[in-house]
Parts: sequence; structure tokens; C-alpha cells
Amino acid sequence: MEKRMEAKEIEGLRLSLVIFFSNKTAVVGLMIFMAYVIDALLMQFAPSMLGVNNPNALAFDYSNTIPQPPSPEHILGTTYFGVDLLQAIMQAIRIDLGYSGLIVISGALIGALFGIISAYAGGWFDEILMRITDIFFGIPYLVLALGVGFALGRTIESMIIALIIVWWPLYERYTRSLTLSIKEQTFIEAAKASGVSDLKIMIKHIFPNTLPPVLVQISLDLGVVMAIFATLTFIGFLPTGNLPELGYLTSLGLNYIQIAPWATIFPGLAITIFALAVNLMGDGLRDVIDPRRRSS
Amino acid sequence: MIAAFGIRKYFNVKQSMLSNLMLKAVDGVDLKIRKGEIFGLVGESGSGKTTLGRILVGLLEPTEGDVLFDVDEDVTSRYENALLKGDKEELEALSKKYSIFKKRGNNRKILRRKMNIVFQDPYSSLDPRMRIIDIVKEPMIATDYLKGEAAEKRVLDLLEEVGLGKSFAQRYPHELSGGQRQRVAIARALATEPEFVVLDEPTSALDVSVQAQILNLLKKLKQERELTMLLITHNIAVVSYMADRVGVMYAGKLMEVGDKIQVLKNPKHPYTVSLISAVPQPKPRSIRQRIVLKGEPPNLIFLPRGCIFHPRCPFAFEECGWSTDEIVDDLSYLISSKYYESFGESVSIRTKDENTIIIENAKAELISEIVEKEKANLKSLTAIKKITQEVNYVEIKIHDFITPELYKLDDGRKVACLLFRAEEKNA
Amino acid sequence: MSEGPVIKIDDLHVYFFTRRGIYQALRGVNLTLNKGEVLGLAGESGSGKSTLGLAIMGLLPRNAIIPKGSIILGNGTDLVEKIRGKAPFKKDKLNLRKNELLIRNLNKHLQKIRGKRISMVFQEPMTALNPVLQIGYQIAETVLYHDAERLIRRALAREKVTREDLRNMIKILKNEGERGIYEYALKAGLNGIEEQIFAIWNREDIHEAKKEKMIIDLAKDKLGLFERIGLKLARKGMLKIPLISRLARRALIKEGYRVAKELLSSLGIPQVDSVVKMYPHELSGGMRQRVVIAIALANNPDVVILDEPTSALDVTIQAQILELIRNLRKKTNAAFLFISHDLSVLAEVSDRIAIMYAGKVMEVGRVEQIFEEPLHPYTKMLLDVIPTMEKDTLKPAKGTIPDARYPPPGCPFAPRCPFAKEDCLKFDREIAVTKDHIVSCILYENKK
Ligand SMILES: Nc1ncnc2c1ncn2[C@@H]1O[C@H](COP(=O)(O)OP(=O)(O)OP(=O)(O)O)[C@@H](O)[C@H]1O
Ligand SMILES: Nc1ncnc2c1ncn2[C@@H]1O[C@H](COP(=O)(O)OP(=O)(O)OP(=O)(O)O)[C@@H](O)[C@H]1O
Ligand code: SF4
Ligand SMILES: [Mg+2]
Ligand SMILES: [Mg+2]
Repeated sequence: MEKRMEAKEIEGLRLSLVIFFSNKTAVVGLMIFMAYVIDALLMQFAPSMLGVNNPNALAFDYSNTIPQPPSPEHILGTTYFGVDLLQAIMQAIRIDLGYSGLIVISGALIGALFGIISAYAGGWFDEILMRITDIFFGIPYLVLALGVGFALGRTIESMIIALIIVWWPLYERYTRSLTLSIKEQTFIEAAKASGVSDLKIMIKHIFPNTLPPVLVQISLDLGVVMAIFATLTFIGFLPTGNLPELGYLTSLGLNYIQIAPWATIFPGLAITIFALAVNLMGDGLRDVIDPRRRSS
Repeated sequence: MIAAFGIRKYFNVKQSMLSNLMLKAVDGVDLKIRKGEIFGLVGESGSGKTTLGRILVGLLEPTEGDVLFDVDEDVTSRYENALLKGDKEELEALSKKYSIFKKRGNNRKILRRKMNIVFQDPYSSLDPRMRIIDIVKEPMIATDYLKGEAAEKRVLDLLEEVGLGKSFAQRYPHELSGGQRQRVAIARALATEPEFVVLDEPTSALDVSVQAQILNLLKKLKQERELTMLLITHNIAVVSYMADRVGVMYAGKLMEVGDKIQVLKNPKHPYTVSLISAVPQPKPRSIRQRIVLKGEPPNLIFLPRGCIFHPRCPFAFEECGWSTDEIVDDLSYLISSKYYESFGESVSIRTKDENTIIIENAKAELISEIVEKEKANLKSLTAIKKITQEVNYVEIKIHDFITPELYKLDDGRKVACLLFRAEEKNA
Repeated sequence: MSEGPVIKIDDLHVYFFTRRGIYQALRGVNLTLNKGEVLGLAGESGSGKSTLGLAIMGLLPRNAIIPKGSIILGNGTDLVEKIRGKAPFKKDKLNLRKNELLIRNLNKHLQKIRGKRISMVFQEPMTALNPVLQIGYQIAETVLYHDAERLIRRALAREKVTREDLRNMIKILKNEGERGIYEYALKAGLNGIEEQIFAIWNREDIHEAKKEKMIIDLAKDKLGLFERIGLKLARKGMLKIPLISRLARRALIKEGYRVAKELLSSLGIPQVDSVVKMYPHELSGGMRQRVVIAIALANNPDVVILDEPTSALDVTIQAQILELIRNLRKKTNAAFLFISHDLSVLAEVSDRIAIMYAGKVMEVGRVEQIFEEPLHPYTKMLLDVIPTMEKDTLKPAKGTIPDARYPPPGCPFAPRCPFAKEDCLKFDREIAVTKDHIVSCILYENKK
């Protein structure tokens, strides 16, 4: 009996993998995403393996500041201040991925917290939260982020806080709608009939059931947030100095776009490819948690 | 054991921004279930069975009325007397002591131990992300009934008891079939050794052979434990097999309550009669009087007046609650369709007030004649009291109506139908 | 009533290919459906009842294959010939895309036959109707699709008919009955009018004088100029030409609404004028089911498959639908395949009953035979577990139905059967105990 049970669990996992891997584009997305993650991890824990001394600073080469085209030495060429683009992009991925992950996950946690409570409790609390999130939804992301960032001061920390503030309402709404449908399921009522307190119902029944779709949403959002983050540095909203960051890298090459297009194209491409990859991956994950897909 | 008095549950339904209408899901139900009894509650979809069941286990607060739990005859009769006399203090005192809605804190936990519910849909009533062992353990932990090892041991015993076996403890709901899930739901409901369990359509999602297994299990539990059950279902066959007493609900009201054999074998209320006659029998070509009810179930927001069943009742008569609108509807059908040739186009018909109808350009004699002829088919016409010819119109007066209550018959059952009003008086 | 088969199913196998394995939904079904009868099909969930219905309709999903067997219509057409054993395989895997193409081609080929001669009421009541189209439109469209000719005929006959004609026909109807009308209509070149007259004449809710007036009024109901031109051209076979089809289509749909009203009022639905303009969600469950049945009957089919038509309904509404089906059986000469898991329901409407288990037919017989002298242990068990007041305990067989991926060898009921012996695991035959009572169980091998 014991064995059969294990077999069943393995079968479930195997099925999930089969579904995910039968979606070819999702697999490509996953591979690109993994490449970014590995790069970020190496950069964090063993930068020397990638030939980088300080992962937090760009290595300027003042001897030749004009962007150079790709060559055996500089595979992706260099950008203004003589920065090697390949190395800079690899450094930047760590920062961009780390910060956008931080933003999305904190936004999701805050959003989920409020979303679950407001949907479960209903009443005036729900009403107020709805109005607040309405306000957030009424203003474009970028404008809001700029506004908040401006109010908090133009530092990287305040930028992150600004983006979290921009991002949580999205998750509030999403978990709210998820919670509303989970709340209608009879197992919630069964728990109430068994004497389980409301707090426990939210923690033990509702939160775990909102988790899979929220995780999928997180993977879909990573790309968007990274792009916004990069945009903000690109327009020079942050005092970046020599911060290896994709948006900043793009802006460095901008003055030379006529003679050295690669200097803007490659960092931009790094953002686009990432956004595309997580989107594809997210689609694949969505299939995995979709029960209709599972049964066919 | 458990007694409900004057339960009403109205739900707000928003029709538009301005009007706020009330949907009368349960509308004045009294119910007593004795210890160790299986009470079957039947009725068509939307008649308020589930709503009543949820109120009885305290999952829903009634708009009006009270549920007393763990009470004996003595207390219920004291409560009834107090209700009759309008003795507020006594009601308050009894309610404070026994009402399931007034229990707080530890008392509430103890109450939750003593009652539970099993739902219809075995697929959505178990949390898909919890293992069976945690699902069955939940009520014990939540009500401080048992903890840790002891609770786990009890889960295993319970699983054996409902015929699943210990090996199911570590599985997830989606690995189980419908019947197995329903057993888990039953095990959960029994975890804290409750005295009272509501079973809301426990087998309607299941195959007949699985249904039989579950019903047998429930019967066994009743015999071994003296469990009191409220069995909600629209399947008359299941009730006839399981229940001791039966209540028939229609549009939020109890139409007939009594011993199973009396109610199902020899139904008295016209609704019960037609309901029973509509049940398909596993006997081909069996000759029986079938009454196929016409029309649709009533609108729960605007209930018919008088007896709520009168628009569909094959035995309805003058006092059952006919309104002028219903009579006008039927008359205008007769005038403009069926007897079209005798009337022509110029006749007009309208309601004057609560009990007067005016017909212009027609003769009283002709109308009386037609009413007499059609009375047997169109029951609304029975409510016509007088047809008089005025100078240039015909005036029709209709009877007053009476709203039926549950009348007690000789054999102990109660029926909410005016046909039996006299019988109670005699008794 | 039975006068030879309208459908004959032989050794039918249907398998479903999925990621979790191959589900053997039907494993050698033999069954005949005779003209004018109601054949009840019973069995527990997963026994393959719906699959059988879908196979007859040719509405199999793309992961289905038919390795063996045939479904032969009364006129000799084999419905599954085109896909039998032709499933495209790549090594061990079914090529879904190609298989879908194969099934779609088959459907194209069968569409005309199916809609007119076979129709089906599906198990899920919500999915059967399109939520954004009016009831009348949905019925009109079905008729238009399968029998535009009928609509043209009806409209043009009304165009031509005079009050004089109609008065004559009422007279004939009263004196000679329906037959006379056919002759009159044929002679006067008015065919298409007769069904409209009958539809009014057979109504039970109105007085005769009113009916006569309505019939005479048929002559008043004329088409607009463009509609008339459209229909006349359409009759000449020019329905394919874009502009003409546009002109004609409006008139045809309008005519379809009339058919819808006639059909719905013949099914006892009150106030059809407003019902045809309603959307599905505005109707109650029972009403919706009647509309679905009306659509199935719209083209006077030979065979109607009803898949659990009452399972989602209340007892009282169920009784109404069963009454309706009993009446229809008398009125039409269609054959009905009535699928239900509830034997009591089948007892009410069927002439014969087939019991299915794990993709096979276990027993077929007349309804009295099944209920009064059931032979197969599975049939006996099904009857034993129907709860009643008199029974003390119910006696379900132990265990559950087998997984359709790994059906047991031999008699599929053997693992649960109280009479099972060693040989049951090899037994796979149908025994005709009497001419019309067939059972698939080893216990009757020598009792022929
Ligand atoms: N929370 C709610 N809000 C509004 N209306 C409700 C609510 N719960 C139930 N109702 C309505 O109350 C009426 C009675 O519902 P209830 O579920 O008690 O009927 P039932 O007899 O159990 O029917 P069924 O046999 O279909 O389960 C229905 O019309 C239903 O739509
Ligand atoms: N599209 C499909 N893909 C895979 N398997 C299927 C599909 N349709 C049906 N099956 C399987 O085929 C078997 C027969 O199913 P079918 O729906 O015919 O049963 P049924 O007798 O109609 O049951 P029910 O009473 O539940 O409607 C089942 O095991 C089912 O899981
Ligand atoms: S009171 Fe009795 S007779 Fe009158 S309508 Fe109601 S059920 Fe019918
Ligand atoms: Mg219910
Ligand atoms: Mg089916």
C-alpha cells in the first residue's frame, strides 16, 4: 500500500513535468530563465569565476572610452567609458534580477495578505481597500513610481519601495478574486462547521490554495518589473554612478547610437529576452496548475 | 434534543441600485428532532432545505427564530408556552441557556464538538491541499477535543470505521474516488463524537452501488451510537429507506411532517401527494395515479398569498389565496382564446381592487355559465363569489382567503393545507 | 411496434488515448435499436454510456479511436467505416493532429445524415445551448442548416395560399382527417402549408373557433418584397450566391422562428411567443431541457439519443419531462436511446433496457424481463441497491468499478461477483436465453 501511494505521488509529479515539457516554448523560457539565475548566483557567490572583482561596480577603462565593436576580446563589444558589455551585462543581471525579484515577491506578499483578509472579511475593510487599489490602478505605473520615488528621495532603496507600493495592489486584487472563489467552496464551510477559527481558515486553507496561481503570476511579472526598473534608471531617475544595471547600461550607449548601435542593443536585448522568457515559462506553469490540462 | 422555532431566513437580493428585495429562503419553520432519530427533509430544489440545515448547525444565523440544542420535552414546552404568552423574559432566559447562537468562547467549542455537517459535493468539501489525516484531524484540534498522537490514532480508527483503511491517511483528496471522499467527509464529521449531524444530500453525487455502501454505513452508525441525524435530500427513495420521520418542504415552508410510513405511504398534503406520485418506481408498467404538477416552482421573492402552493395545487379551492390578478389572467385567456367566438374583440377586463374585477362589454349570464363550466380545470375561478350585471359592465367579487398553518391530524402528523383545517378542529 | 432495426451496433470498440494511459471505454458492444422503441441504457458512472451515444453521433473527441466494430444504419450505411482501424500512429503514440483531421472529415461526411436522422440531447444541460443566442434563433438555425428547403416550402406555400383554400382545408380536416389535407395541398401546389395547419390544429390549449381563426389568418401572413424575391431565387438553388443568400437568410430565419414556436407549443410550453425571444439563462432548468429536446426533434429525426436528460432536474420536473417523452413516443415514430444511471427512470419510459458495465453490455431484455426476472448478477445487484421503505439493508457488491485503463479479463464483473468462478476470467460471450433476452454471464451457459 505504502508503495502504491508513493507511486501515485510520483505519477503526479511526472504528469506535471510531462505537461510542462510538452510545451516547447515554455522549456526554452525556462532554460533562459535558469541561465539568468545561474549567472546571478555565480555573480553573488563566486564572482571571480566569471572574472569579476567587484560585482557591484562597473569596470571602467578610461584608456579607450569610445564604444568598440564586438571583437574576440570583447565579445559583445564595449560601451562608453570602455566598459566590456558582456561582463557588464552579466554583472547587471544579478542586480536587476535580485531587485525585481525582491519587488515582486514583497509586493505579492503584501498584496496577498490584504487580498485574503479583505475578501474573507468583506464589509467596510474590503470596501476601503477596493477604493485604495482603484486609485493605484487609475495612475500609470511609471508615473506613480516616479511620484513615490520623488517623494521618498532618489535612492535605490526608495526606488524599490516605490515599486513595491506600485505593485502590491495588483496582487491584492488578484488574491482577492482568488479568495472569493475559494471562499465559496464547501471545504471552507466544513472547516467552520468543525470549529476552526477564521484566522486559521485564512492561514491553513485559503493561503495555500491561492499560492500556485500567485506563483505563476509572480513569474509572469518578473519581466515587467525588470523592464520598469531598467526604464527608471535609463531615464536617469536614479543616481547610478557606476552601478551595473541594464537600464543604465543602455543609457550609456545612447549617445553613440549612430556609430555604435550594439552598445544600446545588447543591454536592451538582455531585458527583452528575459521578459519574453519568463512570460513563456509562466504560460507553461499555468498549464501545469490548470486541472483541465492535467486531465486531457 | 434539537428544536427550532419560527425559523426565517431572508436573503437580500439586489435587483437594482434602488430596490432591495428579500428572498425568503426559509419562512417560518418549526422543527423538533428527537434523540437517536433520523429526520428526513425532502423537497424540490430551492425549497430551503440546505439553508435550514445550515441554520440548525449554526453556520448561518436566521433572520428570525431560534434553535435550542440539548433540550428535553420539558424545556421545549416551556419555550412554546412562553411563545404563546409572549413571555419575553422566559424566552430570553431559555434562549440564553440553550440557543446555539448565544454560545461564546469555550461553550461554543463544546457545541462545535457536538454537531457537524456533511455536504453534498464530495469534490469541493475537502481541501485539495491537505492530506486526509489532517482533514479528519481538523475538528479535533480546533475544538480541543484531542491533540497530537491521540488525535492521529483516532483518525486511523475513524478511517477503519468508515471502511477506508489506515493506508488512506497519507493520501490527498484528488487521489480518491467520490465515494471514498464522502467517507472521509463522514469521518471528519464524526471525529469529535458529535450527537447531531446534518447530512446534506450525502449520496446524490454518487453511483447507486456506492450510495448503498454509504447508506449502510450511516445506518450502522445510527444503531451503534444513537446518532441524531437530519438527512436532507431530494431523493424520496433514500429517505424512505433511511428516515424515521419525514418533513416535506416547499418554498421555505414545511408542508407536511410526520412518521415516515404515514407521510410517504399515505400522503395527505396535495404537494406531498403529487411529489410522491412523481417519484419513478422500479416497477415497469405499474399502474398508479400520477399527478404531474404543472407550472414552475414559485418565485421566492414574491410568494403567492394564502397557501403558497395554490397556483399549482390540483385541489385548490376558493379560500386558498387566489388574487384578482390570477383570476383576470385565466378569465382573459377564456375570453380571448377559448371562447373567442362568443365574445369577439371588444371585451375588456381589469382589476378594480383587492377583491373586485370589472369586465366591460360582456354579459353576466354568459360569464357565469363559462365560469361554472371551467371551474374544474381553472381552479382560480372557484374563488369567484358573485357575478353581478351593472349598467354597462359586469362586476365580479372574490372570496376572502385563509393562510394555512400546520394542522395536527389524528394520526399525529401535521399538514399545512386548508383541506385539513376542519379535521384539526374536530380532533 | 418494433419493425426492424434503425441502428445496429456490432462489436464496437472505442479507446481514448491520454497522458495517463489508454482508456478502453467500449470493449465490444452489440446492440440494436428498433424503429419506434425506447431503448433504455443503464449502468454506473464510467461504464461507457455517453461514449456510445457520442460514437453513434460521430462526435468523438480527437483522442478517440475505433479499432474495431461497426454502427450500421437501417439503410446499410456504416457510420464508422471511415475511421475504423485507421487511426494514425507514430510508434506507440496516437498522432492527435492527424486523428483530429480524420474525425473531422468523417463528421463533414456524416453531418447531413446525422442532423436530420440522428440527434442527441447532451448530458451537461448548460453546454447544450449557446448562451448569447435567442432560443428561437437556435432552433431556426438547426432547421435552416439541415433542411432549408422545408423553410422555403413553408414560407412560399403561405405566400400562395388564399383564405378560400384554408376554409376548404378546415372543412376537409373536419370531415376526412389529416390525409385529405395532404392531397389537397399537393393538388393546389401548396405543400408546406399542411404542417402549419396541423401544428395549430393539434394544439390542446385553445378552443376550436380560435384554431380556425388562426388557420385562416395564415393567409394574412405575407412576406416582404425582398424576402419573397430572396426565397424564390433560393428555391432555384441560388442560395450559394452571396447577395441572394443574405436576402433569403433573413426570411428563412424568420420562418425558423415560426417552426420553433410550433415545436415548443407542441411540447407544452406556454407563451411561446415570448419564450422564443428569451436567452437560455432566462429559462428554468426544466424549461431549458425542453428546449434542448425541441432542438433535437426539430428535423423529425429517426433516432434521438437522450443522455441523462433528467438527471439534473427535480422529481416533479423530471416527471414532466418523462411524461413529455412518453407522449412523443406515441406521436412520432422516432426511436429513442434513453441513457440514465437511474433504473427507476428507465422503468418508466423504456420498452427494452440494456445494462452496461465496464464498456460491455451485460444484459439486454424487455423492461419486464429486466425488472422481474433479471439474470445477470450485476443487474440483480443494481436492483438490490435501490433503496425502498421495505428493505432492511441494501446489498451492494464489494469493491468498485474497474479502472477503464486496466479492464479485468473475461467477465468484467467477476472480481466483484458473488457467484464468480475460475472460468469467469475467460468468459466473454453473449447468451440468448430467450429470443429477446440476452445475457453475458457464465451461469447461463447451459440453460439455453
Ligand atoms: N447566500 C445566499 N444568498 C442569496 N440567496 C441564497 C443564498 N443561499 C441560498 N439562497 C437561495 O435560497 C433558496 C433556498 O436555497 P437552498 O440551498 O436552501 O435550497 P435547497 O432546498 O437546498 O435546494 P437544492 O435541492 O437545490 O440544494 C434558493 O432560492 C437559493 O437561491
Ligand atoms: N474524452 C475522453 N478522454 C479520455 N477518457 C475518456 C473521455 N471520455 C470518456 N472517457 C473515459 O471513458 C470511460 C467511459 O466514459 P463515459 O463518459 O462514456 O461514461 P458514462 O457511462 O457516460 O458515465 P457517466 O454516468 O458518469 O456519464 C470513462 O472511464 C471515462 O473516464
Ligand atoms: S391549502 Fe391545500 S388545497 Fe388549498 S392550495 Fe394549499 S394545498 Fe391546495
Ligand atoms: Mg441543497
Ligand atoms: Mg455520461
